[in-house]
Amino acid sequence: MNVLGAGIVFNRGRGISCLENALIERWVAPSDSVYAVKPEIINDQVVLKDSRRADKFSKMAILAAYDALEDSGIKVDKKSLGIIMATGFGPHATTYRFLDDILDYGDRNVSPTSFSHSVHNAAVSYIASVLNVNGPTITLAQFAFSFQQALILAKSWLKEGRCEYVLVGAVDELSKTMEYIFNRKLRVAEDGKIKPFRFLQNSEAVAGEGAVFFLVTNVDTGKRYCRFEKVYFNKDVCRDLPDIYILDNDGIIEDETAYRKICAEKKPLITSYTPIFGSMMTVSAFNCAAASLILKNQICYANPVLINPYKVNICANTKKMKIDSINCVRYNCSKVNAVVELKR
Amino acid sequence: MKTARVNVAVTGVGVVSACGNNLVQTLACFDEGRRNASKITLFPSEFICPVFEAGDFTGANNKDRMRTLNLALAAAGQALDDAGLKNNLDDLRLGVCLGTTVACQLNDVDFYAALRRGELVSMDSVDRYLKGNLAEAVARYFNLKGVCCTITNACSSGTDAIGTALSWLRNDYCDIALAGGADELNRIPLAGFSSLGVVSNDLCAPFDRDRRGLNLGEGAGILVMEKESLARKRGLKPNLFLGGYGLSADAYHLIAPHPEGLGLEQALVRALDEAGIKPKEVGFVNAHGTATLDNDKVEGKALVKFFGPEIKVLSTKGFTGHTLGAAGGLEAVFTVTGLKEGWLPQSIGFVNKDDEIPLTPLTRRTQINSGYAVSTSLAFGGNNSALVFCRRDT
Repeated sequence: MNVLGAGIVFNRGRGISCLENALIERWVAPSDSVYAVKPEIINDQVVLKDSRRADKFSKMAILAAYDALEDSGIKVDKKSLGIIMATGFGPHATTYRFLDDILDYGDRNVSPTSFSHSVHNAAVSYIASVLNVNGPTITLAQFAFSFQQALILAKSWLKEGRCEYVLVGAVDELSKTMEYIFNRKLRVAEDGKIKPFRFLQNSEAVAGEGAVFFLVTNVDTGKRYCRFEKVYFNKDVCRDLPDIYILDNDGIIEDETAYRKICAEKKPLITSYTPIFGSMMTVSAFNCAAASLILKNQICYANPVLINPYKVNICANTKKMKIDSINCVRYNCSKVNAVVELKR
Repeated sequence: MKTARVNVAVTGVGVVSACGNNLVQTLACFDEGRRNASKITLFPSEFICPVFEAGDFTGANNKDRMRTLNLALAAAGQALDDAGLKNNLDDLRLGVCLGTTVACQLNDVDFYAALRRGELVSMDSVDRYLKGNLAEAVARYFNLKGVCCTITNACSSGTDAIGTALSWLRNDYCDIALAGGADELNRIPLAGFSSLGVVSNDLCAPFDRDRRGLNLGEGAGILVMEKESLARKRGLKPNLFLGGYGLSADAYHLIAPHPEGLGLEQALVRALDEAGIKPKEVGFVNAHGTATLDNDKVEGKALVKFFGPEIKVLSTKGFTGHTLGAAGGLEAVFTVTGLKEGWLPQSIGFVNKDDEIPLTPLTRRTQINSGYAVSTSLAFGGNNSALVFCRRDT
């Protein structure tokens, strides 16, 4: 699948140029100990003019999807565009607002707006409305592998001819409740710094949120970021050596020892940009956005955090280089791996 | 570039709902026209509306798991047995694709209430949720190592899970798939649907003039779908197939269907096109038919416009209630079983024709002799999905 456009909303801003700047600036301490998306980042009265009632989860999704389509410069027929959105936990902040209603006012006096927005696919409904898309639309949730599953489905839809283009992406959001769960279930980094190369059994997380979308197609327009080549699960991650590995470890799956294998057996160039985005079930999608930029610009951006006790061959300085292939690797809590192969 | 067609057979079904804990009990319930609605017993509630709770199904009392997962495991076990898949499942490339609306939400009221009170909250419900991603948990239980995904597309989740599994099989991501949907009766959607004014305090009456809304239900409906070539290799002679799947977005409204049913029509065009058939070849439609004012009016009009006035239509929600993420799975099981058994139950609850809906659903148990049937789902978010099943006796 060719990647023709990308859009991103994350704590450092909105749009691919913000991502590029963040990759150059590297790690910046998060405000309030989490990588939250500030309200001004999603304040767009033009794109969101018909989505004023949308919650933050949906707004992040709309803007990332809209930007991906704009970034591609393609005028897409509304029937030939599909949308697939992956999420780890869905719009849970809205769910909790709905529970607030129940607890404060009783089951009979809840807000129908909160309820309808708490459904996982509300965000895709908004995207379809804003972009006037009548193609197939799906929302899926597979925790750590949500985005990988979305890519598989996008590839299938394109191959089957269900649509010509797919906006495929991922969204996850923060809430006070999620922060509480992070603090109770995970070891949270007090310095706000995810350290991907320590490969600890009890690694540290820093909660994040955001949205990222890609416009993908099998059509060859001659202008693209890169290709999503393959997605595979539970195979030898060192089987085909890419130019760069991007590790998706972000502390949300505590035991990161499995990642050591990638670095121990061979000496590929290793990076991880999770310290820029924060810990999210769908962080793989954000790293894939970074991978897309790397392949497009032929620049390997330095790791945002350089703590490297295993002396891994990390990219310490941003540098121009020939890069044809990147494998993004994610392990889940059962130590099953998923690899997304991206090619120039 | 379209993929070469891989025939996908339906070789097993599993079903749990208020109609019964398996297919035999379900068919008896259909045959007798029995409506097993009750008051809400699963949780304390201010509401007096009837609901369709599943009975004492296997695994119902396993409190370590979400009830939705218990329902799914019961139906998945039946489907695997029905398909003759009991042993050595880990040797197969067996994928799991399931739809849900409840199991994907971290919405435990007690947990959240305690958190608001500032207490040190028990994390049991969070742990149950984190271990309960529906597809992943079913795969783990049966030791299945194939591709695995949970679809969260509101009320069309079950249908879209089956459609996704069709894509997997045709694109060789797996050889066999467990696909369908599961959802438990839950306090949160009951309050939510009530706030929207679409819950009836009477038994639901799909497509009826005097319909007053839906009744919520619960259950799980799961198919075993496999490449025909593999089924034959296993010694089966499959005659039931999933021929096509179509889905489309209304791009119209978050909770209301497009008034002309344009999205549904588009989903039907896509599904029939994929199956390579014309509307006149379809013998019957198991409609979404929720018994809400909007859905039935829009769906009824769209079905007649697309298939013509003679099309046989039923809604099985009069037997099961609206089971949300399970509905597409249950109705797929009922549709394929209708093709197999050669009869359909009455569209129970219907009495009086609505002048605004140009169809009369089945009013009695009806013999059928058709090769093709369609199951439709319309969801929050303006999502429309359709499946085409076929019977091919060779």
